[in-house]
Formats: sequence, C-alpha cells, structure tokens
Amino acid sequence: MDAPATAAVPDGQSAMHLAPAPLLEVSGLQVTFHARDTSIYAVQGISYTVEPGQTLAIIGESGSGKTVSAQAIMGLLPGSASVAGSVRFRGEELVGLSQRDMRGHRGRSFAMVFQYPERSLNPTMRVGSQITEAIRTHEQLGKKEAHDRAVELLKMVRLPAPERRFYEYPHQLSGGMRQRVVIAIALACGPQVLFADEATTALDVTTQAQIMDLLLDLQQQTGTALVMISHDLGLAATYAEDVMVMYAGKIVERAPAKELFAGVRMPYTQALLDAIPRIELEPHVLLPVVGGRPPDLASIPPGCPFAPRCPGVQDDCRQDAPPLKQYEAGRWWACWHPLGKGAQ
Amino acid sequence: MLASAREGSAVTDGTVTEGTADTGSDILLEVRHLVQEFVLRDFGGAKGGVLQAVSDVSFDLHVGETLGIVGETGSGKSTLARSVIQAPPPKQGEVIFQGQELVGLHRNALKAARRNLQMVFQDPFSSLDPRWPVTRIVEEPLIAYGIGTGSERRERVASVLDLVGLDPVRYGARRPRELSGGQCQRVALARALALEPKLILCDEPVSSLDVLVQAQVLNLFEKLRAELGLSYLFIAHDLALVKQVSDRVAVMYLGKLCEVGPVREIYSEPLHPYTLALLTSIPDPDPQVGRRDTANHIKGELPSPLDPPSGCRFRTRCPLAQERCAEETPELRPMSDGHYVACHFPLDGWQTSAIRRVPDQSRIADDIVDNRPASPSFQSQETSL
Amino acid sequence: MSLPAANILTTASVAPAAEVAGPAAGRRWVRNLEIAVPATILILLLFFCFIWPMVYPVPKPVGGSLTTVNLPLWSKGHIFGTDIVGNDVMSRILYGGRVSFEVAAGVQAIGLVVGGLVGLVAAYRGGWTDAVLMRILDVFIAFPSLVLVLAIADSLGPSETHVIWALSAFSIPAFARVSRAAALRLRDQPFVVAARLSGSRPWRIMFQHLVPNMLPQLLTFSMLGASLTIILEGALDFLGYGIPQPTASWGNMIASGESFISVYPRYVVVPSIFLLVTAISLNLLGDGLRARWNVR
Repeated sequence: MDAPATAAVPDGQSAMHLAPAPLLEVSGLQVTFHARDTSIYAVQGISYTVEPGQTLAIIGESGSGKTVSAQAIMGLLPGSASVAGSVRFRGEELVGLSQRDMRGHRGRSFAMVFQYPERSLNPTMRVGSQITEAIRTHEQLGKKEAHDRAVELLKMVRLPAPERRFYEYPHQLSGGMRQRVVIAIALACGPQVLFADEATTALDVTTQAQIMDLLLDLQQQTGTALVMISHDLGLAATYAEDVMVMYAGKIVERAPAKELFAGVRMPYTQALLDAIPRIELEPHVLLPVVGGRPPDLASIPPGCPFAPRCPGVQDDCRQDAPPLKQYEAGRWWACWHPLGKGAQ
Repeated sequence: MLASAREGSAVTDGTVTEGTADTGSDILLEVRHLVQEFVLRDFGGAKGGVLQAVSDVSFDLHVGETLGIVGETGSGKSTLARSVIQAPPPKQGEVIFQGQELVGLHRNALKAARRNLQMVFQDPFSSLDPRWPVTRIVEEPLIAYGIGTGSERRERVASVLDLVGLDPVRYGARRPRELSGGQCQRVALARALALEPKLILCDEPVSSLDVLVQAQVLNLFEKLRAELGLSYLFIAHDLALVKQVSDRVAVMYLGKLCEVGPVREIYSEPLHPYTLALLTSIPDPDPQVGRRDTANHIKGELPSPLDPPSGCRFRTRCPLAQERCAEETPELRPMSDGHYVACHFPLDGWQTSAIRRVPDQSRIADDIVDNRPASPSFQSQETSL
Repeated sequence: MSLPAANILTTASVAPAAEVAGPAAGRRWVRNLEIAVPATILILLLFFCFIWPMVYPVPKPVGGSLTTVNLPLWSKGHIFGTDIVGNDVMSRILYGGRVSFEVAAGVQAIGLVVGGLVGLVAAYRGGWTDAVLMRILDVFIAFPSLVLVLAIADSLGPSETHVIWALSAFSIPAFARVSRAAALRLRDQPFVVAARLSGSRPWRIMFQHLVPNMLPQLLTFSMLGASLTIILEGALDFLGYGIPQPTASWGNMIASGESFISVYPRYVVVPSIFLLVTAISLNLLGDGLRARWNVR
C-alpha cells in the first residue's frame, strides 16, 4: 500500500484570494494515439471550464472523444497516447505531471465513475475494504476510523443496511447497488470534480433515475462539480445545467441546458435530437436521420468535420473548419451556418 | 381452454387476443402459459436453485403487427424470445406459430416450421461468424433450406442486401470486423430476411448502436415492415424506442406480464404502477420537464429472481402495495378494449396525468419546427451507407 | 483506489480500424521477430533433416566400420565425429531428426484430429454425450502420462509407429480438453444460435462455424505439444521403450550415449542440443502465433 502521495501544491492554488480560478480549466487539450502506422487524433484542441458545484454534461457518440478527454484529464491514458495542451486544476497544471503526483490528485481532487460497475469493483474483495482502501490512500486513518467513514459513505449513497453491506462481496449486490458503491469510493476523499462516464448507461432506466437523483443530491450536499459524459441527450436535458456537444474530437456546441434545447444552433446537435425516439411522437413515424458515419480520426479533412453529412452544408463549410466561438452570451457553437435565431 | 372466440374483444382465461383494428384478425403467433426455467449449479455441480425466468406468459401476435416487449433486467424478455424460437424450448407452455405447435417438435419438423420465423440479436458483431464474408452469411439460410440454384441464391443475396441498404458489390466480400455496428446489424437483418419470413424476433437490435445509427436502423425496420408486410416481436428496454415501432406493447417484470395494450394507450394512460414508474424514469430531452419525482413511483431494488416476492412480484417496490398484493397473484385481466393489466389496484386516469406532468404537446411541436432550416433536408432522409 | 485499467480498446472512442501498439514500428518488428526467428530455425532443421540427405551424399547412419570408431568432432568427412560403432554422428542426427519430427507431427496430427473431434462433439452435443466422452478421457488423463505411455509402448513393442500410438494416448485427451473448452465458448455465441435458426444442420455448424474459429487456438496448442512430444519420445528411448537400434533418433542417441558420458560427452551433448533447440523453437513459435492471433 503506497504511503499517501503528497502532491506538490504550488502557491497559486492556496492563493485563491488573488483571482477565483475556475475549478478545472481545460485549454486546447489534444490527445493523439499512436497506432501501428498511423496517428489517431482523438481529441483536437478542446477548451472548457468547470466551476465549483456545476453540473456539466458532455454529450457525444462513440468516437467523439468525450471519454478520451476525461481520461486525459485524469491521467488514465496508456503510454501510446500523447497529450498536449493544458489542464489546470485550481491553477495547477496537470498535463505532464508524473504518475505519482497524479495519484495524489485522483480521488482527492477529482474522481471518476465508469460505465460497468462490475468491472470497477474487485470481485474478490469485500465492498467495505475497497472503500477503506480508497480512503487510506489519501488520508492517514486508523482501521476503525476508516471503517466508520466507509459506513457513513454507504449511508450517504443510500445503500440499505450499510453495516451489513460493508462485509459483502460485489457479486452479492445488484447493478444499481454496485454503482452506488463505486460512487461511494469515488467520493470517499471528497473530490471537487466527479466525472461520470456513462455511469448509468448499463443500468435499468428506473435504477438510472435513482442513481442520477442520488448524484445530484450528493452534489448539493458536498458541493462537488459533476461532469456527466454520455450519449443521452435526454439525460443531459434532465439533469445538467450546461451541455457541451462533442463531435469527431472537437466541441461543436455549448450552452446552458434550457437554452440549448429551446433553440439548437449546430446541425449535428439537431440531428442528435431528431434521432432520439420520443414518447411524444406518434408510433411508426420515420425518424429524421442523417446518413453517413463519423469521420476517420486518423485523417482529418479540412473544413467542418460534420460537413460530409450535414444537410445544410455549404461550400465554405468544406474548406474552413468553423471555430468554437461565443456568439451569444453563454452560448458557443462551431458552425458557419447555424440554425434558428443564430442564422445570419 | 383455447376455444375463445377470436373475433371481437371477447376474452376468456386472461389471454390477450385483441389487436388494434387495422392489423387484421389473423393470429400469427400464440403463446400460452409459457414457463422457462434455468437450474443454477453451484461450483461442484450441485443444484443451487431454480430460476424461473419466464412465468406463465401468454399473448397473441397478429399478422402485420409489431408487438413491443419492454422490461428491465431480470424481466425475462430475452428468455421469452429464445423460448419462442425453441432455443432452448420452454419448460412448459405452448408456442403456436402459424397454427403449428412448436414445442416438442423434432428437428426436421422444427426446421420446416421455423422457416418463417427468424431472429435478430442484440450484439451485431457476435451474431455474425467473424470468419465469414457477408454474402456467405446471408446465403447460409438459403443453402440450409436448399433454395434455388447457386446463381439464384446469389441473386437473392444481392437483392436482400440492397433491401437493407448495403451495396453488395462494395460490402459483399467484407468480414464483420471490417464493418461498423450499424452495418453488421443490417447484415443480420439481411440474413433474417433471406427466407422471406413472416415474423422476425428482434432482441434489442439497436441497443448497442450509436444514436444516429440507431435511428437509421430503426427506420430500416419500419421501412421493411411496410414494404414486406412483416410482423415483429420487438424487445427492448427503452420505452420510447418501443413506442416508435410498435402497434401493441407488453410490459414485463420479473418474468411476468404486467400490462399489455395498444401503444398509444399504454403511454397516455398506463394502468400498472410499474409502467408508470418506467415512464417517469425516462429522462426527457426537454429541460422544462426536468427531473420527475421517480421516488414517488418506485422504490428499493430489484428482488432476486431466484426468490421472487409472493403474490404480485412488483409489490416490494410499488408505492400502492397493500396486503392483498402479497397474498394473491394478480392475473392479467382486461380493463378496456384490448388493454390488459395484472394488478389488484390499477391506476386511475387522474393519478397518471396529475403525477406525470406530461408537457404540453403543442409547445414541443413548435420547438421542433422552429429549429429546422428552410430546406426540407431534415425530413426522413434515408441514406445507404 | 481500485480504478480499472484504462484500455482504450474498450473505449469506443477509437475508430474501428485502428489498433493500439507502442511506438509504431518498433513493436511490430519485434512481434514479427517472435515468429520469424523460431520459424526460420525450424524450417532450417526440417530442411536439413529431410531434404539435405537427398541432395548431398551424407554418409549412412548405420553400418559404420570399425576403422572409423570414435572419431572426434570436426574430423575430416565427419563433422560431428563417429559413434562407438563407427556411424557418422552427423548423419545420425539428420536421420534421427526425421524420426523425431515424424513422431511429433504424427502424434500432434492424431491428437488434433481425434482429440479435437471428441472435444468438439462433446461440447456441441452436451448432456450425456459430453459426460460419457469426458469420463472416458478422464481415465486416460488420470494415469501419470509417462507410465501410460510406457505401458502402451511395452505392450505394442518397439517401433516408430508404436511410439506414435503410445504418445497419442497422451495427446488425444489433451487436445480434447482444449477443443472442448474452445467449442463451449463458441457454442453459445449468438452467431451459432443464428446458424441454427437459419436451419443449418449440426455437422455443418460444427465444421463450418466452430472449427474455423477454433483452429488458431488448436494449432498453437499443437506447436507447444510438439515440443513436449519430442522430449517425451526422447524419454521413451532413454528408458529403452522407443525406437529400436540401429535406427537413430535423438532420444535413443542420448540413451545409448549415456553410458559413455564421462569419456565421450559429445554423444549425449550433440543430440541434446538439437533436441533443446527444436523444443525451444517450437515453444517460441507457438507463443508467437498465439500472441499474433489473439490480438485481432
């Protein structure tokens, strides 16, 4: 068991009275994977911020780079990935930190919950031990205190009979309960940012609702910022304050949830919205679809990445990639010919 | 026991026989009191317990109709599909397809009977032999049933690949690992269509696909249904998706049917508390709707399927449960035209509408119209890959 | 913190056609070496044992004369010297190599076909067929392998063919187990269920769906088994139950040289080196192929 890592704390972090730095500031983050003969540009320069206590949803399909970017922030990518750009957590630069220093951050500054709870938990270890392990990685607590803290955490995630659960194995719990345990582990040391990477995708819809309610309530309680990564726009609409849409490694739209769904600007976001089966729609109605597939991330063509599929594409779209700009207060999009009121 | 009059809405022993008016009255598939069990074995091979995955399920499916089956983990919906195709055959009950009983049929007779019954699976990649090229995959059923000569079969393969939107010249020689998930699913569909079946069982066919691809494949299912007059048994866990494709919907929980009815009614006036819980759990892509108080509709965790609750299986999580629910198992009974529910205290209209906070339909329609560009480019655009 | 290893192959964010590797060219080159080097060695050995004596006048492996007894290494005309009865050691190595390879190939082939078939049928049919077949195999597996092989070899009498049969008693159950495990894993895959639904008959499914998907695994297993077989054959010879003299095999060369090991160690060392190199190459090739075929 490692001794708790002591992360170097630069002066900037404690000197928060100078200027309130956002909790997490991502600037120009790029992630490239080096495969056999090619490079895959999984994330191509994304920038966003996360404020304390904020709920941000990052929405995208597979290949959009949403998961890879979060893993890059957490320092979880394999050696074949090269990360460029800047990620500042409370002013401290994370890109380029050694694994030892990153370990000091993981669990304490930020944490992540993954999609498959059965894969996140060690099947041969009791649930309680996994939580105490997480606690004692960062804090010097005795066995008894760690035990008590773990039971508190289990109570916090609304697991029935927490004292008993402490001694159970993961396979004795249902999927929803396992995910609660994973959340307890993630929150064990009070991180300020929690990444939830498709955390509810593998769960039943009723369980999903319970877990999302739990996450949001915990957020209120602890003041943690929540970054939800998902493909589900409905989830974003219901639970997030701000929504960021990613496509082919770039951010293509960002807006507060209410404004985004009231008026979408980027045609890709509109396509996503249209493609979701909705209860309000009549059955047997064909969904509006956009054909084609996301671009191959190994060879990025010039111009907008969505151009080959966009119904509203025009010549300039194919030549110059539109930058992500804040065209309206709090609303960003990367499109030359946006929809709705943004249209020129 | 089965001698119920199938015309009109007369119903006897709780079997669901009425469809919506426009789907005709020919019954393609009858399932009666289906039971499927799995014996669990401990490490040493000793009997560990019996899991009753499907308990006494009965329903009918009419020609040209799509019956959607919705359920979550442990509901038994996938097991139900497998039991219908006899892979493996159910422990008890009857499966009557096109008037012929399938349970207990011997291999050759079963093969002949299954010609009109095909299946599409959830994982597009593992449902195709990774070493076979696309054309061979689609040709397999034709060879197995000895249909046509070599060149006739190749023609049929090409035409069915066209039907699902895959250019046979471009994709015919490819292997599954050279295809995307959506393309693999199209191949699986092509294989299912090769024999011109009447009924296709779809076991969560789009769950592992991306949103945009999912919509494309769903549209394909719809298009083929209209063009070829297919019937579907469509299994999914996503209620909204099921509504998209179904004429009637059945809701399952822990191996039993909770509610069956015409699609619009199930969604606008659910009768079973579980159906309501499912509906309110769906995150709506309209932030005005926001978080619904799901906690009011369902609580607790799914009980172990090995030891389901006595009486009504949903009672441990039902906010309206009472003593009777523990003592007496509710049977599926008709409440209105074609709408059946298995509950002692089915919901009233006022309960559902007051609690559900269904958003104003007109407002949503306006929003959708507002964001479309002037050109009709966002209408049902089917592009083959 | 029990965080799962981030394996980007499980992250859908990577385009399907890509593969992950380390520094691009480096790993690929090493991977190719893993297969190329042992394969080359084996090909060279096979060439020298089977083809070389046909084109080059190699001295006979038997019928040496007493005038050329015990010649040392690097003697003129006899690169590895001669043995105690005057036979050229080099040619005995070459012809002995033939025997060793033939035995290895034969045993593996029989194991693959018979054992593979048994395992496949047991897995696909399941139920009683599976239980009966596996219990029969268990009987064979329960014996200490060497004892079993000795018993068979003893009762059959010494000859190359009998050695092959005896060693097959060992390889058949081994293959049956591997084949059964592989077939079980494949049997419940949706594509097999789909094949059944398409109406394909069981034998068709077994041979057209299951076997092609099992073959890579079985072939690598046979490589590893081949090296073991060669060594076992040597053990048989050493114990006096294998290939009878004067026919050469690496094993019986070691066996007959054992008595002279303090005076003429080369009679043991030279065939042992060849045995070692062959066994290692087979192992490495098997490993390399397994690594190549697993990363798809």
